[in-house]
Amino acid sequence: MRRQVPLILCFVFGIVMIFTQFIPHSLSQSLHQEVRQWYLIIFPFALVFSSIALIRTHVMRIRRRTEHWRYSFLIFIGILMMVVIGVPFGPQHHVFEWLFNNVQVPMDATMFSLLAFFIASAAYRAFRARTLEASLLLVTALIVMLGNVPVGDLVWNTVFAWLPWENATSGMKQWILDNPNLSARRGIILGISLGVISQSIRIILGIERSYLGGGD
Amino acid sequence: MLEKLMSIDRRIIFILVALAVILPTLIPVSMPISVSEPTQKLYDYIETIPAGGTIMLVFDYGPASLAELNPMARAIMKQCFAKDIRVIGLTLYAVGTTMGSTLIQEVVEETGAVDGEDYVFLGFRPGLELVILGMGTDITSIFDRDYNGKPLSEIPMMQNVTNYDQVDLLVDLSAGSLTEAWITYANVQFNLQIAAGVTGVIISQMYPYLQTGQLVGLIPGIAGAAEYERLIEAPAKGTLWINIESFVHLLIIGLVVIGNIAFFIQRRREE
Amino acid sequence: MSKTIQCVVVCLVLCVSLAFSQGLSPPSNVTAMDTPNDDGSSVTIKWDAAPEDSGISGYQILRRIAGGGLEEIGEMLPAGATSYVDATIEKGNAYAYIVRAVSGTEATVDSNETAPAKGTGEWFHTGKIPLFVAMIVFSIAVMVSIYHARSGQEVFIRRIPGLEAVNEAIGRATEMGRSILYVLGLGGVSGAATIASMNILGQVARRTADYETPLHVPCNDPIVMNVVREMVKAAYLNEGRPDAYNEENIFFLTDSQFAYAAGVDGIMLREKPAAIFLQGTFYAESLILAETGNSIGAIQIAGTDSEHQLPFLITACDYTLIGEELYTASAYLSKEPMLLGSIRGQDWGKMIIFAAIVLGVILELAGISWITTLLQRVS
Repeated sequence: MRRQVPLILCFVFGIVMIFTQFIPHSLSQSLHQEVRQWYLIIFPFALVFSSIALIRTHVMRIRRRTEHWRYSFLIFIGILMMVVIGVPFGPQHHVFEWLFNNVQVPMDATMFSLLAFFIASAAYRAFRARTLEASLLLVTALIVMLGNVPVGDLVWNTVFAWLPWENATSGMKQWILDNPNLSARRGIILGISLGVISQSIRIILGIERSYLGGGD
Repeated sequence: MLEKLMSIDRRIIFILVALAVILPTLIPVSMPISVSEPTQKLYDYIETIPAGGTIMLVFDYGPASLAELNPMARAIMKQCFAKDIRVIGLTLYAVGTTMGSTLIQEVVEETGAVDGEDYVFLGFRPGLELVILGMGTDITSIFDRDYNGKPLSEIPMMQNVTNYDQVDLLVDLSAGSLTEAWITYANVQFNLQIAAGVTGVIISQMYPYLQTGQLVGLIPGIAGAAEYERLIEAPAKGTLWINIESFVHLLIIGLVVIGNIAFFIQRRREE
Repeated sequence: MSKTIQCVVVCLVLCVSLAFSQGLSPPSNVTAMDTPNDDGSSVTIKWDAAPEDSGISGYQILRRIAGGGLEEIGEMLPAGATSYVDATIEKGNAYAYIVRAVSGTEATVDSNETAPAKGTGEWFHTGKIPLFVAMIVFSIAVMVSIYHARSGQEVFIRRIPGLEAVNEAIGRATEMGRSILYVLGLGGVSGAATIASMNILGQVARRTADYETPLHVPCNDPIVMNVVREMVKAAYLNEGRPDAYNEENIFFLTDSQFAYAAGVDGIMLREKPAAIFLQGTFYAESLILAETGNSIGAIQIAGTDSEHQLPFLITACDYTLIGEELYTASAYLSKEPMLLGSIRGQDWGKMIIFAAIVLGVILELAGISWITTLLQRVS
């Protein structure tokens, strides 16, 4: 019974939600909206549970004095500060805005900027012309990298000024993005879409049960 | 020596990248920027909107992506205000609220645009597709007030705007998959014209929509922002940053070339 | 005397409006009908396009509710318009419409009033018939394949190195006495990639339960965390190892993209897991996670349907499941015939699409475009 109820619910709601896509009638559409709103209602409850779980994890860390336990206090300070200012005064409050602009913005931007460093090290490690395919990939990557920044066209227009094609680096980059890139992506997208449909059928029919922890 | 060139310590690479960013920042250089077709398309589309028209500008991004997306938003707003096109700002991403409100204030100080007449910022509502679908029928069913709490019925520029039928274009500035949600629900179901400005890492994700015409234009990453600044003839941070990025790209290309030369020499020797 | 003056004034007004509207003909063939394939909340008004030299600069739509007066609706439409969808109707009421042509000098001329029309909600979207047929055909292909697999027919499935490596990664972590880190990405619980990732996690959890290898799952979405806790717990119970399950190892980190990346990176650097699974939806944080994992020497198995992140994951991870491979993982790992059967059905679907593309290209080259037209009509 513990297994059957979720499987029946999954089947019924799966089929109903598929059919609402093909029935434009207001009854069907309001049912669709209603079910989507249930998800919205579930979300805050789940958020409360998760926040409790997060707090419990860090309380345990402090209690057990696990490695770097002192950092757990930072979590509580951060949560308290934003809640105390954000909940009663709203995000328009100047202190909240100040904290956002001077704490969250630089921290998030720093994490994102790490990408530049990691891309450089990963590209250096990965782009080796070991085989013909790898060489093609390497050449394509170099063209796109050059074509994406003004220096690519600058170099082309200076070195190959005698050729009739102006701004050819960015032109080649655009061609690569519009043609080989697009066709490969479409192939992958088709495969993904079929995979999603197949997975959905398996779940709706109750064949796929791994998300319930496996077993019968 | 060859071995060392083939496996340069990542910390050395990180230092080189930092230098490639810092040095051109201290000594700015200027390079000519050519405009790509997707950026030009968006610019041209906005140019065809008559004075008094309305666009929606959606700030679907957080602080991490502001370096790439803020210059785009700034350039689009400047173009709209100069052409007397009204801008409705909003976001489906909670963190985008402060991003949008702060940036609009900055542009307003530069251009003198008037709140409620030239622009309105609606803020954030949770629910993603429910928000998109709801606004298709009636904007006030989702946002009955603007970000400052003023009822939409009291805002002059919203008097004739009920739903997407009165919106000429929606530009979604996004660092994730929200542009696809706008295409799926606002474009497909309500025929709203949509354009996007996205971060560099997801540019290629947008090309299929550009080719099918579901996106009327696209600003691709910081390069696109610089192109847009060139189109509105107001070079700003996008232009500065794309020039800096040029040096980082050159560095990466240099590293890749060095690694490959060392690789080839070693392979020759082994043979 | 006053009557004579009134008559003169009326005649003058008529003459003036006639003079202004000279050459401005009323919109012809104006019809109002229920908008097809909607929920009954709109009526569509159509009329013939005016000739180029008609002098019309725009149209204004007027609406009359049965027994009521005329009211203007919407803003003025441009001269080239030939239809208008009135989405401001009240369901159940019948409305009649007039299309008013407006000239550059603001002279106007009205069309005949249309017959009253009501908005009615349809029970089937005719524009989606091709989509519906495709769905039925594909579902049948999958179900027939499942039926065949159930009857004992062997299903061949090509070798997927990334999935072969799952057991190797878990074994390695067990031998080294280190933990396994499972990252579900940034998707919500309704995301197909997140569900696929949870399916793989279900299989991984069964093995870690057997080997008693610590499994850490930092979550980005509160609902995902609650679902994952339940399913991992069930997996440990099914393997008869409820004592080995530690709820605290599955925890909510943050829903902020880069704070999550920072948190997971921190876990990688502190815990030094021997195996890292990056399965689900990823955005710009993918390379930050994968490169950090690479730097600590963990065996990394990635899988995503975010095709824009594939280059990063392929570069930095040992194995990467590309697109649909992510969705076959559960079947591949469990080797259950019915799950494997559905993969064959998926391949049939791919063959049909492939055949349609090839046929479409050949027909287009031959100047026949009915496949393209059919697909363009799908709503």
